[in-house]
Amino acid sequence: MNAFQRVATIISYEWKRTLARKKFIVFVIIAFVVQILIFVIFNYLFTNPPPLMPAFFLEQTKPMMWIVEALAPQGLFMSLVAIMISGGSMSEEYEHGTADILLSKPIAKIEYMTGKYLGGVSILSFVVALTTALGVILATSFFSPQEHLHFVPHVYLAIVYSNLVFLSLAFMFSEVFRRTTLALLSAVGIFIASMVTSGVLSAVYAFTQEQLYLDASKWLPNWCASNFPDFVISELVAISSTPFVSVGQVETVLAGALIAVYTIVFIAMAVIKLIKSDVTKKTD
Amino acid sequence: MMSQPVINVSNLTKFYGNFKALDSISFSVSQGWVYGYLGPNGAGKTTTIRTMLGLLKPNSGKVEISGVNPSKDPVQALQKVGYAPELPNLQTFFSGEELLDFTGKMFGLSREVRKEKVWELLEFVGLKDERKKKIGKYSKGMVQKLSVALALVNDPTILIMDEPTIGMDPEATAYFRNLFTTLSKQGTTVFISSHLLDEVQRICTHVGMINKGKMVFDGPISQVLETFTQEWVVEAELKKVTTKITANLKRLNYVKDITVEGNKLKIQLKEKKDLRGEISSEIFKHKGVLLSLNLHKITLEDAYLQALKGS
Repeated sequence: MNAFQRVATIISYEWKRTLARKKFIVFVIIAFVVQILIFVIFNYLFTNPPPLMPAFFLEQTKPMMWIVEALAPQGLFMSLVAIMISGGSMSEEYEHGTADILLSKPIAKIEYMTGKYLGGVSILSFVVALTTALGVILATSFFSPQEHLHFVPHVYLAIVYSNLVFLSLAFMFSEVFRRTTLALLSAVGIFIASMVTSGVLSAVYAFTQEQLYLDASKWLPNWCASNFPDFVISELVAISSTPFVSVGQVETVLAGALIAVYTIVFIAMAVIKLIKSDVTKKTD
Repeated sequence: MMSQPVINVSNLTKFYGNFKALDSISFSVSQGWVYGYLGPNGAGKTTTIRTMLGLLKPNSGKVEISGVNPSKDPVQALQKVGYAPELPNLQTFFSGEELLDFTGKMFGLSREVRKEKVWELLEFVGLKDERKKKIGKYSKGMVQKLSVALALVNDPTILIMDEPTIGMDPEATAYFRNLFTTLSKQGTTVFISSHLLDEVQRICTHVGMINKGKMVFDGPISQVLETFTQEWVVEAELKKVTTKITANLKRLNYVKDITVEGNKLKIQLKEKKDLRGEISSEIFKHKGVLLSLNLHKITLEDAYLQALKGS
């Protein structure tokens, strides 16, 4: 049995473990419900356009509703789903004492962690695939014809990639704290704090027009995680007077690079903790 | 004959913060031995086992399983090791069958081998009818049986069991005791941590005793009894105990002291020797009617308690 097979075994284990958790299933269902609600709201707007909303805006948005639908759960729910997936990934094994069972088998710690992490990434990818597919199906069924559908894989990959930030953050906390509640609360706390701070900085920028505030907000983890898919699709289908106005390649590259940096740092911290410390039990 | 040790622990020291859980522990276990690892709660038994499996990093000293350090190369060191933890916390979202299959997968067994092995083990531990049930719904005894089955998935050459029969019914306990003995006869090395001294005395060939993180004894089970036996006692039950009998017995040069309790004599011997023949002759010589005569040998429990007291 080689290292790849051992990692694959842990990936399959992680799927089984995650799908057995009701909390996770509930969150995924909520993400679907949010998506359907957005569809209902837009459907209402298209059939009863508000007087202040320009007709051409709706007309130009309608053929790209699949993008709106696919990106709808991204800002909030997909990040929370990512946190839910990995927040207990390592810690639950310590808390339940099952880390002993797994790590007393012929597997290296690093293979075990790789399997756990990739298991989380593959589950997230699956959930994003479902929400993206749901968005595309709803949009093509009710707002046909849809344009730029050949960019579906790009959007899908951009969403998965951007969610690595909070997935990795929660994964790191899960290993470092080895307590699921603490890991989840910390990751959600940073997510919310990041959103609030970002909002405050944007508001200050709006009042002062000082570029510094806008630039500062870009270093917060939610900026790259929330905006990267929007930036990517905007680059691909940039059309004025739709929500997808191109922000420029520099911003897109910066967001992409920041996601990579955050992800690498978080994973590295988790690896160091795992390698340097004992396999603990809650009773220890 | 001493064969090459398959478990080699030397000068193992482990701290939890400032607390010294293991203090320079050393022992070796050779192939085919059934090694009983004894000690009171908190002595360091589980810490030793978890260090042996590479789950804990020692502060100093080393562990070798089949010549390989499990912390450095767990893939090679643990390939033929079966481990059943104390009060195992198994993955409750698996059924018994699924967990056995998953464990076989972790050892790299092929699908066909796993299928056969899982069925065989489920039948072996009597969980065939419960195989589809989630482990979360298993009783404590069923979990313990499954844990033993999990430790046997890879046909281990080294079996490490931490309190393996806790929670099992007497029938299952006897069954597993026989299993461990059979496995050792087939060449499997069995390492059992237990506080059930009777269990250890019945099945172990060698014993290690640990107290407060320190090794207080390591050797063959016969040696432990010899080491901690301070005196041998012959207990004689007579129809009637007379002063003539006791006085004459006291006069014998190998008798240290005699205690009379009703019609029973407790004869303390000066030597560690079975002198029942000589004592019975002496009793008959003075017209005594002997109902029973027993040599009171030290039990492992006596030895264990003495070892703890000494340490």
